[in-house]
Amino acid sequence: MNRKVVIIIDGQKITAREGEKLLWVALENKVYIPHLCAVKEQERPTAGCRLCFVEIEGTCNPVTACTQPVKAGMTVKTRTPAVDRLVRTAFELLLSEHRLNCGECPKNGSCELQKIARERGLKLNLHRLKPLSKKVIIDDSPRSFAFDAGRCVLCGRCVWADHRIAGVGAIGFSRRGIHRRITTFADRELAQSPCTECGLCVEACPVGALYFKKN
Amino acid sequence: MEGKKETISNYVCEILKNYSVERRNLLPVLREVQEKLGYLPVRAMEKVAEALGIPTVDVYGAATFFNLFRLSPPGKHQIKVCMGTACFMAGGQIALDSFERRLDVRTGETTPDGEFSLEEVACVGCCSLAPVVVVDDFVEGNVTPTRVDGILLSWDIGKKKQREQD
Amino acid sequence: MDVSLTERAYIKMKAASINNLKYLEDKPVIRVGTGTCGKAAGALRIREAFKDELTRKGIDAGVVEVGCMGHCYAEPLIIISKPGFPSLCYGKVDEVLVKRLVEDFLINNDPCYEFAMAALEPNDIFPTFRDFPRGVYEEKMILENCGFIDPEEIDFYIARDGYSALADVLNMEPGEVLGEVKASNLRGRGGAGFPAGIKWEVVRKAGNGMKYVICNGDEGDPGAFMDRNILESNPHQVIEGMIICAYAVGASLGYLYIRSEYSQAIRRVNNALRQAREKNLLGASILGSAFCFDLEVFSGAGAFVCGEGTALINSMEGGMGIPQHRPPELAVSGYLGEPTVLNNVKTFCYVPLIMRKGADWFKKTGTPGSPGTAVFTLAGKIAGPGLVEVPMGTTLRQLIFDVGEGIPRNKKFKAVQIGGPSGGCLPEQALDIPLDFDSLEEAGAMMGSGGLVVLDEDDCMVGMARFFLNFTQQESCGKCTFCRLGTKHMLEILKAITRGEGDMASLETLRELAEDVKTGSLCNLGKTAPNPVLTTLKYFRDEYEAHIKGKCCPSLKCPDLIAYFIEPDKCSKLCNICVGSCPVEAIYTRDNGLKAINRDKCVKCDNCLKACPPEYSAVIKVSPPGLVEEREREMK
Ligand SMILES: Cc1cc2nc3c(=O)[nH]c(=O)nc-3n(C[C@H](O)[C@H](O)[C@H](O)COP(=O)(O)O)c2cc1C
Ligand code: FES
Repeated sequence: MNRKVVIIIDGQKITAREGEKLLWVALENKVYIPHLCAVKEQERPTAGCRLCFVEIEGTCNPVTACTQPVKAGMTVKTRTPAVDRLVRTAFELLLSEHRLNCGECPKNGSCELQKIARERGLKLNLHRLKPLSKKVIIDDSPRSFAFDAGRCVLCGRCVWADHRIAGVGAIGFSRRGIHRRITTFADRELAQSPCTECGLCVEACPVGALYFKKN
Repeated sequence: MEGKKETISNYVCEILKNYSVERRNLLPVLREVQEKLGYLPVRAMEKVAEALGIPTVDVYGAATFFNLFRLSPPGKHQIKVCMGTACFMAGGQIALDSFERRLDVRTGETTPDGEFSLEEVACVGCCSLAPVVVVDDFVEGNVTPTRVDGILLSWDIGKKKQREQD
Repeated sequence: MDVSLTERAYIKMKAASINNLKYLEDKPVIRVGTGTCGKAAGALRIREAFKDELTRKGIDAGVVEVGCMGHCYAEPLIIISKPGFPSLCYGKVDEVLVKRLVEDFLINNDPCYEFAMAALEPNDIFPTFRDFPRGVYEEKMILENCGFIDPEEIDFYIARDGYSALADVLNMEPGEVLGEVKASNLRGRGGAGFPAGIKWEVVRKAGNGMKYVICNGDEGDPGAFMDRNILESNPHQVIEGMIICAYAVGASLGYLYIRSEYSQAIRRVNNALRQAREKNLLGASILGSAFCFDLEVFSGAGAFVCGEGTALINSMEGGMGIPQHRPPELAVSGYLGEPTVLNNVKTFCYVPLIMRKGADWFKKTGTPGSPGTAVFTLAGKIAGPGLVEVPMGTTLRQLIFDVGEGIPRNKKFKAVQIGGPSGGCLPEQALDIPLDFDSLEEAGAMMGSGGLVVLDEDDCMVGMARFFLNFTQQESCGKCTFCRLGTKHMLEILKAITRGEGDMASLETLRELAEDVKTGSLCNLGKTAPNPVLTTLKYFRDEYEAHIKGKCCPSLKCPDLIAYFIEPDKCSKLCNICVGSCPVEAIYTRDNGLKAINRDKCVKCDNCLKACPPEYSAVIKVSPPGLVEEREREMK
C-alpha cells in the first residue's frame, strides 16, 4: 500500500495516500473542485473537460487535479486568478454548445453545470461567446430513458459505464473535433443497439443529456 | 441486395484471415477492407467488430475519426483539391469553389450520378505548381476557373466518345 | 570473435554491392528524380522518353530512378553522368530536351550547357550548386544522399558506406552507443527539440522487458514534406538509425508510422525493409551478432493529431487517435504499455552519421544549443521553393533571401510563417533571429514541422491566421474542451472579421481565448494551435483593425471585403477577353463598349484580372467594396 503523506489544500492540512489523484483527495475532504469527466476507477484519466484546474506551488501553469498524483508536502490552491480564468473560459465554452433551457430540463436542480456555476459564482449564460447551434436530436426510443444530444457535454462518463461497468458496448464516441459526439453503431436509435436498458449510463450523466422518462 | 451483403461478408472474411484476433489490427483491417470495397459498408464494420471481438460502436468510432475512411461509395472519378499552404495562398479555394459551382456539390460530396466526388487534400507535394488539383491519379497544376471548366469538359467529351463507341 | 564477425560480414556485403553496381561504370548514367514531386511534374514520362530514345539510337546507358534533391521549382529534374564530364543536373526537362540531350550530349559530347542547372562535382567548366547563392549556406547532412541513390536498390546505399555505422555499433557496448548520441546533443526534429539521448536513456534503463522503437512519419503539416522526401529518397538511412537506436535501448521490435497518403513512401520503405532482411541487416542475429530486431510499417489513417505521441500509440492499438495526459511519457509506458522510443524521421536519419563520424563532428555544425542542421520546406512567395538543409543558427534573412532567392516579381516581404499550424508569423524585424529551437520559441514561433511559408504584400495576415486555425480546428480530436470548442469559437470570430462583421470586443475575446486555449489544452495540438493567431495579433494588429473598423482588407484578399472593378479609362472597349473569361457571366458590355462587372453575380475568382491583357491592366480590386459605387458615381 502507498504511504500516507500530508499535503496542504487551500491552507488546510490533509492526509492522503501518495500517488492518489488530487481531485479525489480534495473531494473526499470536502474541498470542491469542478469536474465533469473524471471517473475514479479510470486508470488513465480522460482529462477532457478541463474544469478541475488547480495551482500547485512551484509549477508555473495550473494543472488538472484529476491527473495530478499527490506528493508529500504539496501545496495546492484551488482558487487563483489563473485557475479562475481557465475555469471560467472552459465553463463558458461548454455552455456555448449546451442547449440552455434549465426550466424544462429533467436535471434542473441536480445538474453538475448548475453546481459549478453556484460554487464558482459563474453565470449560466454566455457573455463573450455566441451559442453554437446544435440540432435538437432526442432519441427516446428506449422504454425507460432518453438521450438529448443537445445537452451532452461529452464527458464520456456514460461510455465508461456502458463499456466498463455494464460491459455492453452500445454507445461510444464517434467522429472528430467539433463533430465529436456520443452515438450508437452507425448512428442508429438506441433501441436498435445492443443497449440492455440497465440505466447505468443514465446514472453516470452529470447533466440532462441522458435522463429517465417520467412514468 | 441480399447477394451484395453476402459478397461484402465474404470479402471481409477473406481479409480477416491474414490477421490475428487483436484489437491493434483494427486500422490495418479497415484500411484493407476499404481498399477492396472502396468504402466501409455497415455490414463490413459489423463483421470486423465480430472478428476482433470488440463492440461495433468502437469500429464505428475509428471509421468516423480518420480522414481516410469513408462510409459511402466514392464517385467514379475523384477530384481532390489541394488545400496545402502553398496552394491555399495561390488560390486553392477559388479552384474548390469553381468545382463546387460546376458540379453543384459541396466538398466531401459525390454528384448524384455517382460520377465525381469532390474532396480537399493536404499538400500533395508539388507546391511549385500551385494551385494543384488531383483528378484520379493525375496531377493538374495552376488550376484557374478556366482550367476547371477545361478539366470537366475533357471528361464530358471522353464520356461522349465512349458512348458513341459502345 | 564478434568484432571481426560483423565487420567481416559488412566488408563482404559492401564488396558485393559495389560489384552489383559495376554495370553502371564506364557508361553514361541518367538519374531521374521520381519522388512524389517529380512524378507530379511528369518524371515518369521523362524516364520513358529517355528509355525510348536510348533504344532508338542504340545507346548503352543506365537509367536510374532516384529520390528528390529538393529543387522542387525545377522538377522534373535529371542528372547525367557521362565519363569524361562532370555530372550535370538539368531542370524542367521535357521531351524535346530529352531528344536533344541524347543526340547532342550522349552521342556528340555537347552537354548543352545552356540547359544545365549545375554540376555536382567541382570542375573547371561549369559551376556547381556550391557556387549558387544557396550553396554558400546549404550544408547537406541528412539530405546528402537524397537524389543520388536509387531508393529501391539497397546496393546504392551500401556502396556509399551505408550500414557501416551499424556494423561498428554492433561491436560496441549499448551504453557506449547511447553515450555518443547523448554527447552529440542531437535534439528531436519532430518539433519540440527534446534531446534524443535523454529519451533513449529512459527507455534503456527501463528493465529488460519488451521495448519498442517507433519512427514518427505522420507528417501532417499541410505545407511540409521533408519526411516524405527522406522516406522516399533514402529509406535505408532511417532504417539504419532505428536499428542503432534499438541496439542502444534494447528493443526488439519497431514500427515506421507513415501517413496513408504517402503511398510511394510506404511502398519504398516496405521494399527497403525486405532488402535489409535479405541481407540480414534486420531479423535474427543481425550481421552475425547476437542482436535481433525487426521493423514493420504501420500506415496511419489520416489525422494530423496522430502525430502527437500518445494519439499515435492509441491509433496503433486500434483506437481513435486521441491524445492522453502525460506523464506517463512514452519512454515509460508507450506502445502496448511498454517503454517506447518515438522519434521523427529526421532524428533517426542523423544517427548513422553521428555514429560514423562522431559526436564532435556533428557538433561542429549549428549552434551549441542546437547542433546539426535544420531541414525546411520553403513555400509561398519565394523564388526558389523546395527543400533545403542549412546549419542551425542560419538567420531567416539568409534562408529567405539567399537560399530561397528572395521574393518573386519585386514584391515586398511582409512576413514569414514558420512551423506550420503550430508555428507563428514573424515580421520583417524578426528576420535576423537565428533559426534554432530556442530562439524561435522565444519569438513565439516554433521549429515545428519545418514548414516555412513566405508572405508578401499581397497576403492577408488575418486570412493566414484563419487558414491555419481552420486546419487545426478541423484536425482537433475533440476530446478536450479548449481545443474542441475554443478553436471553433476563435475560428468563428476570425471568419466574422474577414467578412467585415467583426467588432473590437470580439478581437479582445479572440486574444483571451487564444491565451486560454494555449494554457488550458490537453495536448500540444491545442497548446500550439493559437500561435498563428497570437503572433499575427502581436505583429499585425493594424490589419485586424482595418478589417474591423474600415471593413477593408488592405491586401485585397478577403473575398467579402473586396470588389472587382474595370477602370473605364484603361479598358480598351474593343477587346472582349474579360467577358469570355468570366465563369459566371458577370461581365457585360455597356452601350459605349466599356466593360463592367455585375457585382451580384461576381464570384471573385480572379479570372478576369488575370485575363485582362497587361497592356490595359484595366481590372482592379478595391476594398472596401463600397469604393466601386463611389467610382461609378464619379463616372456619371
Ligand atoms: C499535433 C501534433 C502533431 C505532430 N506531428 C508530428 C509529425 O508529423 N511528425 C513528427 O515527427 N512529430 C510530430 N509531432 C511531435 C511528436 O509528438 C513527437 O514529439 C516527436 O515525434 C518526437 O520525436 P523527436 O523527439 O525526434 O522530435 C506532433 C506533435 C503534435 C502535438
Ligand atoms: S475532471 Fe479533470 S479534466 Fe475533467
